[in-house]
Amino acid sequence: MKKKFLYIVFVVFILIQLIPGGLPKVSFDNPDDLIINNKDIPEDVVTILRNSCYDCHSNESHYPWYANISPSSLLIARDINEGRAKLNFSNWENLSKIEKAGALNDISDAITVDEMPMAIYTLIHRNAALNNDEKEVIISWANEFSERLFE
Amino acid sequence: MKNLFLVFTISAISLTILSFTIKNNSKALSSNTDVTVYEVPADVQEIIDNSCYGCHNTDSKSTKSKMKLNFDDMSNLKQGKLVGKLHRIYNAVNDVDMPPKKFIDKYPDKELSASDTETLKSWANNLMNKNGGL
Repeated sequence: MKKKFLYIVFVVFILIQLIPGGLPKVSFDNPDDLIINNKDIPEDVVTILRNSCYDCHSNESHYPWYANISPSSLLIARDINEGRAKLNFSNWENLSKIEKAGALNDISDAITVDEMPMAIYTLIHRNAALNNDEKEVIISWANEFSERLFE
Repeated sequence: MKNLFLVFTISAISLTILSFTIKNNSKALSSNTDVTVYEVPADVQEIIDNSCYGCHNTDSKSTKSKMKLNFDDMSNLKQGKLVGKLHRIYNAVNDVDMPPKKFIDKYPDKELSASDTETLKSWANNLMNKNGGL
């Protein structure tokens, strides 16, 4: 009985490998990228953005080994597609001033209420979790950067 | 020769100071960060009061709602923040993310009609433009 159950689990696992994952494409050549085009962003901000945000909110995703195995690949593909659709730092310079102000407000809010980085992401990527100092660094940078757009 | 050098140095310094002053002046003229426009016409106010203000006000029980958007605080925001909030409002109603579905299930009369949504969107758009978002 137990053997049969394990056999079924194994077959299901093999079968779901056939579902097309559709992992979003990765590119490290992004001429419209936020960091590339704004050299005055402080280094500590750049480090946090790259460590805690860029895996989902840029074209520079670093996929773990389990990104190629279902069902984790399906979750990763969904989250990264959704993340890039909402905010993609690789396309930053294509945003209008209004869209930039909107994005910077969203960044500041999402971090203030602990919606970002997502808990399921920091559970595995422990160094992507933000402590209170790091949160403050990002929030005040986002707010200042937004005001500077209107100077 | 020495005199020529002196004249050159003095003019260079004066020019630098002059250009700096001009630059600062033009910056002061174009920087409207402290002057924001936040007007709410009666029809917009009515929609906000009916569908949004219940959660997005200073005394709201929902900390998260008021942290993200507090209509009592909008007139105190700087330009960048104000335009950012208006953009969020625009997207939230455009994508039908707000008011939350659970809330609408409980209070169906708080749902935004198609014309309410349009009114809010053009109000937000207009204010974003007035605050230098063009």
